[in-house]
Amino acid sequence: MMIKKQILILFFLLLSFQLNAQKYFTRSGVTQFEASEKAFEPVEAINNSTTVILDTPNGSILSQVFIAGFQFKNALMQEHFNENYMDTHQYPKATFKGNLINLSLENLNSDERFELSGTISVRGIEKSIETTVNVKEENNRIYISGMFFVSPQDFQIKIPSIVRDKIAKQIQINIDYELIEKK
Amino acid sequence: MNLLKKNKVVFIASAMMALTVGAVYVYQYISMSPKDVVEITPEYVGDATEFNFLVTDNLSYWTGKVVQITGEVTELTEGGVVINGAIFCQFENGNDLKSIVENQQINIKGKLVGFDEILMEIKLNQCIIP
Repeated sequence: MMIKKQILILFFLLLSFQLNAQKYFTRSGVTQFEASEKAFEPVEAINNSTTVILDTPNGSILSQVFIAGFQFKNALMQEHFNENYMDTHQYPKATFKGNLINLSLENLNSDERFELSGTISVRGIEKSIETTVNVKEENNRIYISGMFFVSPQDFQIKIPSIVRDKIAKQIQINIDYELIEKK
Repeated sequence: MNLLKKNKVVFIASAMMALTVGAVYVYQYISMSPKDVVEITPEYVGDATEFNFLVTDNLSYWTGKVVQITGEVTELTEGGVVINGAIFCQFENGNDLKSIVENQQINIKGKLVGFDEILMEIKLNQCIIP
């Protein structure tokens, strides 16, 4: 009898956690990178199909981007990016797993800055990321935007010396996600 | 002598022309923008559920390929539609979405970018109604 009661309590406890765990997500988040050097052709691409899922209130965040989904202005650059630098067939996606520290959905009517820390994985190689992002809530949507830097060496991407001067040493990644509630 | 000189001029002029034309072609080739989905012949044309099986079987083969699938719209989202509950198609142009309603049969052409393990669905990009 006692055990039954305990199981019941556990069950309701779990249920309340479940109810509390609200999720927000998007399939079409914008992830951009910018690796241009001045006076050379711009090296940049945009991916507008990033999947992001955010657990509130604990702030844990998971996102995934397909390398093949990065769109360049130049076809040849896009081909080199996929075939020579990112090995898209072998490593089709990049992921991020982390936390928006101390996230609370109260008082989020205007942009608030939160620390985002976590691990990014590109070409199967992990790197930890610490940055500050803007978070806003409006009409039950959560907006997250920000940027951080990575370098090609972080992920063992070899850049031939002939184009080395044309690609920035520090690559800027911009993120811009609009999340809706997941039912 | 005169004839040789004339030939030389003709030769230099035509060589320069050939070089210019070559340079223009090379420039056009390297600065080409990526092909639109409209221009690419699809690698697969047919039923969405059958296509789902093909992708589950060999994902890396289909990554980056343009396909054309037919199925039922099970969910309408802001940027696209979900077909047969398993394939998310993100549209190039929001206007194409306006005429689509839930549960209708649809024929869509798009580029496969991968399998989304977070939401457990296949993702197509740059989708259009052919």
